[in-house]
Amino acid sequence: MKPHFLFPTWMRWLGLCLFFVHLPVMHIWDMYHIHSAPSDTGMFSSGHLFFILTIVLMVSGLFLIAFARERIEDEQIYQLRLSSLRWAIFANYAILVICLVFTTNKADYKDMLRLNLWVPLVLFIIIFRYKIFRLNRSLKPEQ
Amino acid sequence: MKNTLRVERAIKNITQGELAELIGVSRQTINTIESNKYVPSTVLALKIARVFEKPVEQIFLLEDGD
Repeated sequence: MKPHFLFPTWMRWLGLCLFFVHLPVMHIWDMYHIHSAPSDTGMFSSGHLFFILTIVLMVSGLFLIAFARERIEDEQIYQLRLSSLRWAIFANYAILVICLVFTTNKADYKDMLRLNLWVPLVLFIIIFRYKIFRLNRSLKPEQ
Repeated sequence: MKNTLRVERAIKNITQGELAELIGVSRQTINTIESNKYVPSTVLALKIARVFEKPVEQIFLLEDGD
């Protein structure tokens, strides 16, 4: 099979670490209200930098988990990966359209953007893992 | 599409794992091909045929509905 670009397998664990590091950091954000002063709205304001840091941690973590190579990445896994990605995109756009239809407050659009950062990746990871789980369960004993 | 993979494996006396290793796929893939749940690509079918030293048509056969 023609090799497709994917991250090495060990990067999945790095991705998990990044994702779990992001959780307490987000918690600190909420606990101590590290918000910048209203006048401090620049690119390098502390609030914005902290926000970017947590988002980058989360997205890169999820990205590595989603696109790390399986131990044996063969054509069947590739097919499962592709079909999971398709379902994740379908579901993501369904959620996006529903959100757009029912959102009337302009302030909520920022939340929608944040949602869209992680929903497709999380959906993809869940669907892909579920498909692999189902594949492993459907195996017949060797004869 | 059906296949005679299980029979060919028995003749050659190799396990699913050994065959998987020879052609560079997972044992799950061989298992699903044998139980007709997964149709391999042409490349994979040719690789399997090469292991058994037989033409592809002798291992993979079209069914009436195909």
